[in-house]
Amino acid sequence: MAIEEILIPDIGDFDSVEVIEITVSVGDKIEKEDSIITVESDKASMDIPSTQSGVIKEIKISVGDKVKEGSVIGLLDSVEVEKEVVQEEVEVIKEIEKVTLKASKPAPEPPAKILPKKDPIPIGESSVVAGDRSNHASPSIRKFARNLGVNLSFVNGTGQKNRILIHDVEVYVKGELSKPRTENMGAQFAPILMPNIDFSKFGETEEKALSKIKKISGANLHRNWVTAPHVTQFDNADITDLEVFRKSMQKEASQKNTKVTLLAFVIKAIVSALKSYPTFNSSLALDEDTLILKNYFNIGFACDTPDGLVVPVVKDADKKDIIEIANDLSQLSEKARERKLKMSQMEGGCFTISSLGGIGGTMFTPIINCPEVAILGVSRASMQPVHNKESGGFDPRLILPISLSYDHRVVDGADGARFTSHLSMLLSDVNKINI
Amino acid sequence: MTQLKNIILPDIGDFDSVEVIEIMVSPGDEIKKEDSLITVESDKASMEIPSESEGIVKEIKVKVGDKISQGSTVIILEEKDIQGQENSSLESKPTLTSQSEKNSSSQPLSSNKKSDIECDVAVLGSGPGGYTAAFRAADLGKKVVLIERYSTIGGVCLNVGCIPSKALLHTAKVITDAEDTANHGVSFGSPKIDLEELRSWKTNKVVKKLTMGLAQMAKQRSVEIVEGEGKFLSPNQIIVKLNDGSTKIIGFHSAIIAAGSQPSRIPNTPEDERIMDSTGALELKDIPKKLLIIGGGIIGLEMGTVYEALGSLVTVVELSDGLIQGCDKDIVRPLQRRMEKRFENIWLKTKVTKIETKKEGIVVHFDGADAPKELMFDRVLVSVGRKPNGHKIDVEKAGVNVDEQGFIAANRQMKTNVDHIYAIGDIIGQPMLAHKATHEGKIAAEVIAGEKVEFQAMTIPSVAYTDPEIAWAGVTEEEAKAQNLEIEKSVFPWAASGRAISTNRTEGMTKLIFDKKTQRIIGAGIVGTNAGELIAETVLSIEMGADAHDIGLSIHPHPTLSESVAMAAEIKEGTITDLYIKKR
Repeated sequence: MAIEEILIPDIGDFDSVEVIEITVSVGDKIEKEDSIITVESDKASMDIPSTQSGVIKEIKISVGDKVKEGSVIGLLDSVEVEKEVVQEEVEVIKEIEKVTLKASKPAPEPPAKILPKKDPIPIGESSVVAGDRSNHASPSIRKFARNLGVNLSFVNGTGQKNRILIHDVEVYVKGELSKPRTENMGAQFAPILMPNIDFSKFGETEEKALSKIKKISGANLHRNWVTAPHVTQFDNADITDLEVFRKSMQKEASQKNTKVTLLAFVIKAIVSALKSYPTFNSSLALDEDTLILKNYFNIGFACDTPDGLVVPVVKDADKKDIIEIANDLSQLSEKARERKLKMSQMEGGCFTISSLGGIGGTMFTPIINCPEVAILGVSRASMQPVHNKESGGFDPRLILPISLSYDHRVVDGADGARFTSHLSMLLSDVNKINI
Repeated sequence: MTQLKNIILPDIGDFDSVEVIEIMVSPGDEIKKEDSLITVESDKASMEIPSESEGIVKEIKVKVGDKISQGSTVIILEEKDIQGQENSSLESKPTLTSQSEKNSSSQPLSSNKKSDIECDVAVLGSGPGGYTAAFRAADLGKKVVLIERYSTIGGVCLNVGCIPSKALLHTAKVITDAEDTANHGVSFGSPKIDLEELRSWKTNKVVKKLTMGLAQMAKQRSVEIVEGEGKFLSPNQIIVKLNDGSTKIIGFHSAIIAAGSQPSRIPNTPEDERIMDSTGALELKDIPKKLLIIGGGIIGLEMGTVYEALGSLVTVVELSDGLIQGCDKDIVRPLQRRMEKRFENIWLKTKVTKIETKKEGIVVHFDGADAPKELMFDRVLVSVGRKPNGHKIDVEKAGVNVDEQGFIAANRQMKTNVDHIYAIGDIIGQPMLAHKATHEGKIAAEVIAGEKVEFQAMTIPSVAYTDPEIAWAGVTEEEAKAQNLEIEKSVFPWAASGRAISTNRTEGMTKLIFDKKTQRIIGAGIVGTNAGELIAETVLSIEMGADAHDIGLSIHPHPTLSESVAMAAEIKEGTITDLYIKKR
């Protein structure tokens, strides 16, 4: 045992510091490195640790005293043998273990076997703003955006020199949240991830990029498919008489340098049906609370091009006669194939017709060209035996299969059946179409 | 004669596991080969699993709803006829699926050993990255264990890197400044160097002060430090070999790998105390008369600066065509010029072909235009880069991938390929800098605590504490050229700086690089006294997206070297008055 003075150690470049707290009292057993007093300079406060272990015998200073390097803090009865110190330290550590060594929950059992992934876990798009963008986000804004999961490349900066402000990020998030639900559904409706399959292990494969039209129409078709609850109504139209009439018109048409197709008559019949059932010529407002009815008759038709599907629109079909419509059809199709359609020739449609009659097939279910509410699919006409009530026998008749997909949020099933019946009746009786 | 046989789930294709939806047999049933036993369902189809042999069902090992995979035992069958059943055996050996075979190199082992200490976060390595991660995690409420193989925490940076080298560089600067002052009226005479005193100051007053401070802060935060060499034992355990030879197993929920790097060695270098790495050079055993430094990077040139000031004749040999690779040549040039004057030789594009140890010195053979065939030195410092410690910690037992060089890939949230194991600092890649590691350490700790953060910094600055200092941040001119970036640069020569002139150090320059389109600063390079301090303003400017007016119109104190940044910005805007630039 030895009584030792506890001195203020080298505390840096201070003449004197003030004692603001004494954390031990006489009789306390202290360890080396335990803090005994707290001093304060004009810059900071600092705990002064003991340089020895032992028992405090006397404290020679009090709070408020000014001390400096070498000042005596007090007297310590130091523990003499090093070994004892070591033992005591071990004990202290054990005690700490009891108190502080509790993890928030026990460490998980190691799994029997885990299959490591090849690369680091991928995370979402970075919110770092690229150097060539006119907007800039400072580190604190980047952190804020990252916390909300906002990709800053979508955010416009309204601060000085296009700097992105916290407010801009908030406005962006509010905007995203207030977008109509339907829009979100289209983008986020993915119940489970598509499996990632390496097809090349089953045979040879090659990769081909989707055309731009395919990518755009694909995204639209997907949105329309998941947004509008589709119902498809099938029907047949007897177009035997219509065909005879169409062929008889061909002469007149060829004089006017055009060719009258069945599609022209279908368009004319659709206009008539839309007039009888105006809900089919409408769109649902974005708030889904109101229906917007249209008093114009622009009919789109799906057109197959080498790049993919496009939908040119025949404008004001109600004001045009068959020849004029046929003219529009042939011109628009040609332009579509030559990729010369203007934007104005593809917008403003009320209703779309998809005709696969020239190719084949009996029936199909077209996807609605939203925000229109219905689409008509036309398949290939074929000769069918039709029961003749009067003769009791079967007559060969030219039957055209039609399929009407409609948005069930807007159109009821009964109206759907009425619409196709009406259409079928019109196509069967050429006199009823307002040519 | 009867024999029991395990019927296992055969190869059913590329599924991890399938669910049992029906069991078609009961114990006691007599079944024939190919009879269906159970029906399983994957996400694609359901499938009946047939028996591969015939006999009586003894026991059914699965129940409806169980997830089973290839190799799982389905039933135990008492076989009637074992003739022709060559493969029958009591022990069925489940085969690995093809997927796991591919990754067999990093197939983690399971461990049934019980952990001695359990914690939320185990941090392997206590360098600047490791202790920062540990302290931040503790401050966020986690129970943290910090594992360090050396008796003092702080890692390379505090013990044998940044800090002690800065202490010695400070001493070197005092010596060379005193030398310079002799030219304008104040002479101190040649310095008397007490190596032991210098070493003791570096070790006890500088390094110890910091490491002890760290140890105390760890205690205050209840971060438990386990001293010993830690290696992974399983995806949730690290085994630490304590210095007394015993072991301690740390069980963790998350781990942060911060095991750092160590100096690279040149193959076939003989073992000799006089052939040192950076750690050996910092020990300052003696002041060699002739010192060779292999590698003209930051570490080599810093140590060269120290030894040259202490009186050594220093030769630098570098394989590439310039000192300090990665920095623009115009920034390196003033340093090179000064070193060419003070150092004995600087040989670029020169290869060391052979190193021989002799009693009287180290004979080094060279292959280069300027260098002689061979030359003898008293000591040789090998500073040819650092290599990561990824192969020393058994990460494969945790399923963590490590590449050939020893790097462990991590994403912007510092996660490795194993979700709950993070990696930071030198071990995840270049640049190997302490300030990068601390930044990453905080990210890892915060991600573990559930915060949504990631590495978003635009630039990590680099500094060489040579004399003059060199510092750069963001895009260099060479990088801009390589990436075809359209830039505008402006350079302020310190010859026009009052402060530089009054300290007799006018060789410096401050260069700013701006994006031509956005006009924002995207890079900076500074050479001159205190360049390392000056670069910080440009880092802030880059992160904040400042343009030249933002910098030039902020009033900088006069006369300071920091003015040089503002002056460079004014050159860009054409508003400078401290220089006359002829209008083009």
